[in-house]
Amino acid sequence: MNNERACAQPDARCRLSRIWFDPVDNSEPSLEEIKGSQLRQCQIEIRSTPKVDHESYVHAGRILTVASFFSCFRCCFVVMACRAVNKRRHVGLQQLSSFAETGRTFLGPVKSSKFVTSEDCLESVLISSTVRLLESLDLSSTVGQLLKEAVQAQNNTYKTGSSTLLFLVGAWSSAAEECLHLGVPVSIIASVMSEGVDSCIEEVASLQVPVHSVFGHGDNTKTISGLETPRVGSCPFLQVPAGAGGIKEEHDFKDAASQSLTMYSPSRRPVKLPEFFNLPAKVKAGTEASQALRSSLHTDTCSRKSALILSRHFNQADDSLWISKPDGFLEQHSTATPETYRCRDLVELAVGLSHGDLSTMELVEAAARLQYQKACVRQGHCTVPFVFDVSRVFACCLPGVPETFSCVCSGYVTVVSTASITLIKELENQPVQVVLIEGDLTESYHHLGFNKSANIKTVLDSTELPRDSSEERWASRVLQVLTQFNVNLILVQGSVSESLTEKCVHSKRLVVGSVGSGVMQAFAEAAGAVPVTYITQVSAACVGSGVSVTAWRTPLEVRGGNDGMPVLVTVEGINLVTAVLTSSVTAQIHAKEDRFWTCAYRLHHALKEEKVLLGGGAVEFLCLSHLRILAEQSLRRGGHTCSGWLHNASSWLASSLPAYRPAVLERLAEGWRRYLSALMCNAATCSTELGAHTFIEHHVHNAAGSGSPSAYILNEYSKLNSGIFNADIPGKLEQVPRVYDSVTPKIEAWRRALDLVLLVLKTDSEIITGLGHTQINSQELEGLLFL
Amino acid sequence: MSRLEAKKPSVCKSEPLTNETVRATLSVLKGVLTSCYGPSGRLKQLHNGLGGYVCTTSQSSALLRNLSVTHPILKILTTSVQNHVSCFSDCGLFTAILCCNLIENVQKIDLTPTTVIKLNKHLLSLCTNYLKSEACGCRIPVDFSSSQILLCLVRSILTSKPACMLTRKEIDHISTLILRAFLLTIPENTDDSIILGKSIIVPLKGQRVTDSTVLPGVLIEMSEVQLKRMLPIKKASALKVALFCVSLSGDFADTGEGTVVVSYGMSLENAALDQLLNLGRQLISDHVDLVLCQKVIHPSLKQFLSTHHIIAIDRVGVALMEPLSKVTGSISPSSYGIVKELCSAKFGSKHFFHLIPDEATICSLLLSNRNDTAWDELKLTCQAALHILHLTIKEPWALLGGGCTETHLAAFIRYKARNEPESILTDDGCTQAELQLIAEAFCSALESLAGSLEHDGGEIVTDMKYGHLWSVQGDCPSVVNWPDLLSRCGCGLYSSQEELSWSFLRSTCHPFVPQTCLPHETVSPTSNLIVDCLTAKLSGLQVAVETANLILDLSYVIEDKN
Repeated sequence: MNNERACAQPDARCRLSRIWFDPVDNSEPSLEEIKGSQLRQCQIEIRSTPKVDHESYVHAGRILTVASFFSCFRCCFVVMACRAVNKRRHVGLQQLSSFAETGRTFLGPVKSSKFVTSEDCLESVLISSTVRLLESLDLSSTVGQLLKEAVQAQNNTYKTGSSTLLFLVGAWSSAAEECLHLGVPVSIIASVMSEGVDSCIEEVASLQVPVHSVFGHGDNTKTISGLETPRVGSCPFLQVPAGAGGIKEEHDFKDAASQSLTMYSPSRRPVKLPEFFNLPAKVKAGTEASQALRSSLHTDTCSRKSALILSRHFNQADDSLWISKPDGFLEQHSTATPETYRCRDLVELAVGLSHGDLSTMELVEAAARLQYQKACVRQGHCTVPFVFDVSRVFACCLPGVPETFSCVCSGYVTVVSTASITLIKELENQPVQVVLIEGDLTESYHHLGFNKSANIKTVLDSTELPRDSSEERWASRVLQVLTQFNVNLILVQGSVSESLTEKCVHSKRLVVGSVGSGVMQAFAEAAGAVPVTYITQVSAACVGSGVSVTAWRTPLEVRGGNDGMPVLVTVEGINLVTAVLTSSVTAQIHAKEDRFWTCAYRLHHALKEEKVLLGGGAVEFLCLSHLRILAEQSLRRGGHTCSGWLHNASSWLASSLPAYRPAVLERLAEGWRRYLSALMCNAATCSTELGAHTFIEHHVHNAAGSGSPSAYILNEYSKLNSGIFNADIPGKLEQVPRVYDSVTPKIEAWRRALDLVLLVLKTDSEIITGLGHTQINSQELEGLLFL
Repeated sequence: MSRLEAKKPSVCKSEPLTNETVRATLSVLKGVLTSCYGPSGRLKQLHNGLGGYVCTTSQSSALLRNLSVTHPILKILTTSVQNHVSCFSDCGLFTAILCCNLIENVQKIDLTPTTVIKLNKHLLSLCTNYLKSEACGCRIPVDFSSSQILLCLVRSILTSKPACMLTRKEIDHISTLILRAFLLTIPENTDDSIILGKSIIVPLKGQRVTDSTVLPGVLIEMSEVQLKRMLPIKKASALKVALFCVSLSGDFADTGEGTVVVSYGMSLENAALDQLLNLGRQLISDHVDLVLCQKVIHPSLKQFLSTHHIIAIDRVGVALMEPLSKVTGSISPSSYGIVKELCSAKFGSKHFFHLIPDEATICSLLLSNRNDTAWDELKLTCQAALHILHLTIKEPWALLGGGCTETHLAAFIRYKARNEPESILTDDGCTQAELQLIAEAFCSALESLAGSLEHDGGEIVTDMKYGHLWSVQGDCPSVVNWPDLLSRCGCGLYSSQEELSWSFLRSTCHPFVPQTCLPHETVSPTSNLIVDCLTAKLSGLQVAVETANLILDLSYVIEDKN
């Protein structure tokens, strides 16, 4: 604890708010730590604005209430005014690192969920991803806002990498702050950190694995489901033999609570993975590399045996809980997806990208396969590399249905009101005609940009009053059109008038509202329909045909409650895959959907880029070793290093940069080390930070000694897979799957994290505009300068 | 019954500059601006204190736009700087800081405002004459036959905006793009007068900076689904274009005060739609291939047009209308235009229709950056750079940047004031002693402006031959081997190995004639010069001195309290 810093912050306030979190989440700061941090941190404020979701009170046994702290201090206020910041103490960076700490447990394959509760209304939300966490927190400070924007931008563009971003923001802002403590000028910190990360990005290219025509090879019909359970999603490179004290031996009753919160589905299928192949040391050009990949694939028998799933919540003693039940899911699965063309390469890729979430990845993989088949049917044979088109995947969430009923199917699955049950029975077994409406299907609807004039009066010429209301006349007009073209299914992008839906049901027509634009387009293509805005636009050329409507039946006739029933709407050759996501725990359904999209985008990026990175900490480890080597080199070489990173090469900073370079690179590397050790602690590969530290340092030392860190890593990977590392682990696990990660999303997350840190580092004051002097309470006035 | 309230008397304050609070706020403003100056300047987070968007910037245009100052003196200052920036896009901070420095320096001197103003004017005209003259030692000609100086100019602008968060590689990429966009706006066949075209900046947020690109013609963004529906475009030859700026959505014109009375059973909407369909028929008989509308086209009209194989694109937006009419040559509503080619393009997650003109001076610059605030800064910077390039065509000179022009100018003024005072003082009653005092204040204002480029505790020295700026570590020993400690001067033109002698700024040294550089020989093709736009800097200098004079001349502030 730095007393000097505590004293330097006289206006430190502390407002406590609560985060409820998983009690076994031992990586959270303890109360003592928090108290200490208050001194250090001044104050952090989390004002939560949870969505009202009472069902999210999933009780995790004992919920600890821990006061969490957040700092909300203004760097400097300017009401048109500013306060100079102490050179050695950068408030913005401190804020960043404390915000980032909240997302620490979301790093890696084993994620602990959190409850965020609001003090005002006692509502709570179950959170299991970084994006959702930041959404629920009201980060009103400028730095919090920038952090939120950065995470959202990453999520909107790539749908993955947010946790990495958040963690690195924290790790590197502490790194930058330490550099400031050492007296390194801001410009030098910025340029060396930027140089270091760029150099890392170049370096990790050697850990890229080419992905080529994963669909095109092999005739193995096994899916992930048919194979054996590996130690899913752990970090292979960083696994420690149990004998080394890596896995926590003692565990208490709290584990029971954690099980409902950890996101493993009990329906996890046993999986078998290709256990070992020689990876090309450098990325080779296309075919050669993929040849190497394929030829060395180990084709092993598939013996179903149980194995523990590596998690800190489980040890050898209770792995019986997690013995997978070889039940009938596979068969159900294949009824929904009747094809059988499978390829081991895709399985390997999918498992590698699943990051411990195999059940979700199975769905994604099946969706990709379905799409691939359709593409093959459409084009005869696939000449261009197949790209998994996520816009043609739709997720239908069915809360309340047991998890085992999750599946994918070709076509569109949606929930319609129970009133239509009989209608659907009648529509089954006959092709129906469809129209697609782009707007709302209501009487008052007008297309976008149509301004209703207010000054229009309608006068009656005759004394005879119209018999029907305009709404009724409109509805009968709609029905007339539908009858004329013999349309039995109306898909509407917007909302639908309820009375019309009722009328349509009576005349044996099904209206489905709130259909996504991707779905509309898929039906337009496959059924030959032309989307229109108004029903009056419908002509014979707009009507699509050959659509089948069937009730989506779960094998046990499970219905998703009383509020609706799922139906499957499909048409021959439709390029649309629906993933039906089910969960008996309603609170988890949104998390499940999020995870589905994350997996889908990961696979999408991998197939699009035709390459993946070795995951499980391998790239981060390489970055760590690489930066350590760089730091050491520049320490040895002294004066002569490139100053090419400073924008202004003529400044004195350029000549004094070499003196500071090793220190900054060392701090940057420390960020990677913290990342790795958080990963290991989260995954319970190591029980303590210290253990993780020792383990990492051991390997860094070896890597540096070996001359080429990337070769060392590849070598360790091979050893790991051939069982040397795992010899001591009970359960005779001799196979460990490779873990993969998508390339650009990961690297962009690094760059975004660095950009945010540097942006905050270079900022020296905060200017608040538009407030009068009176609007700032006297407490905050301190340190403000006015213009 | 109306109630009369007695008017409050106006408040009159004399000698506003002597007021302590005015001085304090002026120095706060100066502090904010100075800390932003230059490539290593510190950023400011601007926000409204209520959450929401945070603007991180170090640019005067963004900073002053959001800063609402209260005191009239500060208002004069910010308004004149904003005026300058809106005309020249660059040198805003230069102007503002110089003005603050001048005011501050002059206040320490016990001279009447009239004398000060008179002398400042003389010194200003000395500077402008020198900078415009052939003898000027700190300017270099801009050679339009090679891209080198132009790239240096653009790169200098990008480098001086740290909130863009660009790495060196990215700066090179964006500079090239900006230059290419600029060249695309120059017409190929010129008559007597050149009319420069326009570069439209298209946002591509969230992508990598190196994904930015520049394309000739206009890009119209639309959703993938919309685009797919219009493709493929079959026509091989040029397309006939109809451009509408009125709404074709089928709603009725605003009736104003009056009311339209419609008898029951009549549908105004259908009547309007019938008119639109008549228009559609006219378009078909005129063999139009592409209909572009600024506002909304009625879906029925769209459907009607598409069944006749006419592509209809609506909601183009007002910003694209002028470029579109330039690209197509269509003057709405009197004539149809022509587009050479129409194709689709995809950048990042966005889909565009790309209109390629036959020959036109319109191009689209697709800019991407990782986060919103950095993108906004980059956009402003690119606009400024394009503007600066346009200004440079008119006056093809560049000033040496990196503070070298300021120190060089200061050395020149010192020399002139000491050795040839009579050339500055024309018969208006100022003494030479007064000139020395004001010249010193003026020079130190320029030099401390150059010194503001330093934010990390370094110091500024100047050489005794060219009067250029050199930066040196803060606490360096007094006796040093200068050539080893220094590398290159601020603008990058000279290296420390050229047998120069140096002195600290503000140290009493003998005035010298700063020598003229010989840019043609010294500028090697690989050298990376930092240069500024002459036009913008000259105007900045004038605005700064004149604004300072105006503020110094203020003797009363009269405030209406009602």
